Parts: sequence; C-alpha cells; structure tokens
Amino acid sequence: MKIDHSVPKEYATEENRLKIFGFWIFIGAEVALFGTLFATFFTLVDHTATGPTGKEIFELPPVLIETFVLLTSSFTIGLTVHAMRMGYKKAMLTFFAITAVLGAVFLSVEIYEFTTYVHEGAGLQTSAFTSSLLTLLGTHGAHVTLGLFWGIFIMIQVAKRGINPETANKTFIFSLYWHFLDVIWIFIFSFVYLKGMM
Amino acid sequence: MSFKELFPAKHLTGFISSLLLTVVALSVLFFDVSMKTGVVILLITAFMQAGIQLVMFMHAGESEDRASIYTHTYYALFIALVTVLGTLLTMIWGYK
Repeated sequence: MKIDHSVPKEYATEENRLKIFGFWIFIGAEVALFGTLFATFFTLVDHTATGPTGKEIFELPPVLIETFVLLTSSFTIGLTVHAMRMGYKKAMLTFFAITAVLGAVFLSVEIYEFTTYVHEGAGLQTSAFTSSLLTLLGTHGAHVTLGLFWGIFIMIQVAKRGINPETANKTFIFSLYWHFLDVIWIFIFSFVYLKGMM
Repeated sequence: MSFKELFPAKHLTGFISSLLLTVVALSVLFFDVSMKTGVVILLITAFMQAGIQLVMFMHAGESEDRASIYTHTYYALFIALVTVLGTLLTMIWGYK
C-alpha cells in the first residue's frame, strides 16, 4: 500500500481517503433519516390525545446538562484528532476518554429523562406526540450508545497499536460521527425542547 | 507539548461560539418573544452551530474530495429540508 507522508495519517492511503469520503456519504443518508423523524414529530407535535403536552413534561435542567455535555464532547473529540495529528498518543487518548465519559453522562441523563417521562404517563404508546418524540430522541440516543461502544473499541486499538494510518483513519471517522450526532442534538434542543417550552 | 498546541485557537473559537449560540437560543425562553420570532432565532442559531461543526470540527474542506463532500452534504440537507417542509405543507399548512 502506498503511504503518502505529506498528508495526515488518516488520509495516508487511497483506501483511507475513500473511507472518509464514504463516511460522508453515510452521514448524508443519516441526515435524510433524521429529516423524516423531524418531519413526523413536527406533524404530530400537537396531537397529544389524553396524554401530556411537551410543555408539561419538558424540564430545562436535564436538557441543558445534555446539551452542554454533548457540545463539550464534540469539542474534546476535535482535540483528540488534533492531538493525534501531532502524534501525541497520551494526550489523544486522554481527550478520547473524556469524550467517552461525557457520552456516558449524556446517556445517563437521557435515560433518567425517559424514565421520568414514562412515570409521568408519557410512554411510547400514549399519544402521537409521545410516539414521535420518543422515536426521534430514542434514535439519536441509540446512535450515541453505538458511538460510545465504537469509540471505546477504537481507544483500545490506539492504546495497543499506536497511531498508524489504520487507527488514525478509524479515529477520524469516529470524530465525524460524533460531531454529526452533536449537530442532530442541536436541532433537537432547538426545535423539540426550546420551541416546545416557549 | 504546550497548552497552545493541545488547544488550538480554531477549536477554542468553535467551542466558545457554539456555547454562545446555545445561550442565545436559550434566550427565547426568558424574553417575551412571539412564537414566530422565536423560531426564526432558533433557525439562525441552529444552522450557525451546524456550520461551525461542519467546517471547523469536521474538516469538511481539507481533502481533495472537498467538492464531492460539500456537494453531497448540501444535497442531503436539501433532501431533509424538502422532507420536513413538504410534510408540513401537505399535512398541516395546506389545511389552514
């Protein structure tokens, strides 16, 4: 395999470059997926049947924690890639671990939030509103859960094999995924929670 | 390995601006704004934040695939907007 040393390691081979490009194509498909979920939610948001409305169940503190935690983790995964490019393995793994911990904190708060909703009578089958809400939030949460495990496995590989074109490529692609999840969350934060609480 | 090396200005700027935009978005709850104005503010802050992630953190424009990546991402965004706005048009706005 031809290794090009003039570019960062994650782009060093043609295969690496194409994997990154391919992941951007996948992200495009994910944008379309979340587009359909947002469309469903916006259509059904007022159809609360006998269940609660968004204003009644949304609480600002957990949502704010989730938002700031995810924004910060998006920042630290950016720093992970930056440290990786300079070859600082230890700094890279530290930032990577902070990202994973923040991801776990986000998920814990979200699980707490979901159980609160269910206790308040807003389950998956309560109304068109709760169904579309929990499907949208749940799909994002499932992505974060997958990302958490994916990230942990890549960290183990980096710790064992060091920073090479292969592990650098995986880390970079993971960072794209994580930033993308942050983008989706920004839209959930703005148009599900903030608009719902206005 | 210095602080400046590990925390480059570009990343810090991106992070701080995303925090600021979140606070601006949050202000719709604390000031008496109409639903319409609120949604406009949220649209501006959300798309600006998405742009920060895409350009500053995701390095969308750094490889030779730059043109294809941007073209495809704009295309995906177009599909999502048509899906959302088209659904709202046929399911809600069309009946008002």
